[in-house]
Amino acid sequence: MNRILSNFAGYFKFIAMEQPRVKHIYNIGTLAVLSVFMTFMCTSCFGDEPANCEADIEAAVLHVNDPESFFYQLTDSLQTVMSTDTAIVFTVKGNADVTSLSPRFTLTPGATIIPANGSTHDFSQGPVYYTVTSEDGRWTRRYSVKVVPTFHTVADTLFYDFEHYELETASDRYYTWHNVLSDGSLGNDWATANAGYRISMSTAKPMDYPTTPLVQGYDGAAVCLTTRDTGPFGKMANKRLAAGNMFLGTFDIQIAMSDHLHATRFGIPFTSRPDHFTGYYTYEPGEFVQDFYGNPIPNRTDTADIYAVFYRNHDAAGNEIVLYGDNVLSSSQIVAVAKLPYVEPTSQWTPWNVKFEYREEIDEELLSNRGYSLAIVFSSSSAGGSFVGAIGSRLCVDKVRLICTTEE
Amino acid sequence: MSITRILTTIMLAAFTAMGIQANVLDSVKVDVRLGYTVGGTLPTRIGHEIRGINNFNLGLNFTIAAEATLPLNKRWALHSGLRYEIGGMDVDSRVKNYDIEVVKGDESLSGVFNGNVRIKSAQRRISLPIQAAYNLSDAVTLRGGLFMGWLTHRRFWGWAYDGYMREGTPIGAKIELGTEPGDRGDFEFDQNMRIMQWGLDVGADWQFHPRWGMFAELTYGFNGLFKSNFHSVQTLRPMYGSLGILYRIK
Repeated sequence: MNRILSNFAGYFKFIAMEQPRVKHIYNIGTLAVLSVFMTFMCTSCFGDEPANCEADIEAAVLHVNDPESFFYQLTDSLQTVMSTDTAIVFTVKGNADVTSLSPRFTLTPGATIIPANGSTHDFSQGPVYYTVTSEDGRWTRRYSVKVVPTFHTVADTLFYDFEHYELETASDRYYTWHNVLSDGSLGNDWATANAGYRISMSTAKPMDYPTTPLVQGYDGAAVCLTTRDTGPFGKMANKRLAAGNMFLGTFDIQIAMSDHLHATRFGIPFTSRPDHFTGYYTYEPGEFVQDFYGNPIPNRTDTADIYAVFYRNHDAAGNEIVLYGDNVLSSSQIVAVAKLPYVEPTSQWTPWNVKFEYREEIDEELLSNRGYSLAIVFSSSSAGGSFVGAIGSRLCVDKVRLICTTEE
Repeated sequence: MSITRILTTIMLAAFTAMGIQANVLDSVKVDVRLGYTVGGTLPTRIGHEIRGINNFNLGLNFTIAAEATLPLNKRWALHSGLRYEIGGMDVDSRVKNYDIEVVKGDESLSGVFNGNVRIKSAQRRISLPIQAAYNLSDAVTLRGGLFMGWLTHRRFWGWAYDGYMREGTPIGAKIELGTEPGDRGDFEFDQNMRIMQWGLDVGADWQFHPRWGMFAELTYGFNGLFKSNFHSVQTLRPMYGSLGILYRIK
């Protein structure tokens, strides 16, 4: 080691005796380094566009020769399919012939479908299954398509008991509910925003979600809606809480983040004239109400929502109408509202009975042609849509009845 | 920190070695440098998933350094020093089928994203180069070697926006991401960044005046910007390029 160092020292001495001579030259070495810089700044070197990897039916359309006698509403011939749905249902008139139909599908660009798009099938024997394969061939989705002839029936009373719930089948992360249809089969009329909560709280357990079952309710199981903290994502997004909700309609996860008030699509087609609606509830407001920024609002108690809205589901121009979070109580399409004026806090099961206040007469023909929709809405924080409420507010609901009358 | 100890030991060892003969110190050339720096991070490859760059901002970043050259013979020398580099970037790109994970605290949302991704990073780094220098001519020196770097400040954040994510897989739920904070998918990976970096360091000096000169420097990290157990974004390498002036004080 010492020898090496002393050798080095010798070199140093030699060089140190030389006077530095500096020449003004622009050297190729400098250019080389510069060109390396330029290479890294090149951004125009992209590969070929990758093949699409999605495999969706985005929309389904059913063309028939005489749509007026086939569909209740002409808009029923077109179904927009949510990304989370793999069951497509066309509801058609009871006497419609469904033995030879050729639905067409709008697919993800580049995707293919088997059986062929527009091929003819007999839908009277139950659903027809279609498989969509992505452009890159790596992903497939299987869809069931049903065409359901439905007779216009006038129900006297609809029963909603919340006994049928299960973990969402795709992820097992949160609960979903089914209603019991008149023939005893299970329907999907109830929706919640649980799927949206999952975006912000990936670690939440099923019972930590805003909408959960309560095994011992007023009569059998009930449903409980709890205003929940949306965690670090919610805080970052200034969406600090999620009110527990449940409603007749659909929840569109696609726009839950970008346009949350329109993600709740309230209402399902309804062919009877609702008169009043009853049920049992408990409501325990959370400790303190917080504003949009998470600051406590002093001297304010959270309030819950229990209401039902009956509305015309097409506008004057024939466009399909759905009510959203921002107009469910204010739309000019509304025909009648039954709203519990004040959901008084109580830990005891408490009955309610509210009558529909009609703003206009029912058009019987429109009613029988599925031209009206009904939305029943429960929420644990009335201002939850604006992210104002008390975390922990809990509204439980059971044994809901919708009593209908036919117009004399 | 262990890295400070390592740096100190190396420097002390170097000075001790030089101190063996006073002559050695006489021959050492010392300069100070000020450079404009670009970079901070770059992907190892630009994949098919990246369809275009909407905006690429290099930022106004600087390197200040004190460096020393220990001549070994007429052509060769040893070169070292201490640098303080401020690097960063702001890239806005258009992506397709892009695997992404949005993380905040313990919560995360991952999937395949189609839309736009903005990535910003900012780092401050102290680095120690050890290079062999070769005098191409009396004025021009090429240098090559390794560097060790230590991040004193690290930030990496951004957002996916104006597009949609398929949750988990390309056939998962479609979730639109908007443009405004709260509607888009923000991410922040500061804590996942490595503090210590090492890699290749090449440079060139051009001494156009007895005191003044120009330099160019490029460092390329051998280890990724992120810790090896982190997979939320594609592998990025720390990469800095500098161009600047030097002033020889000895």
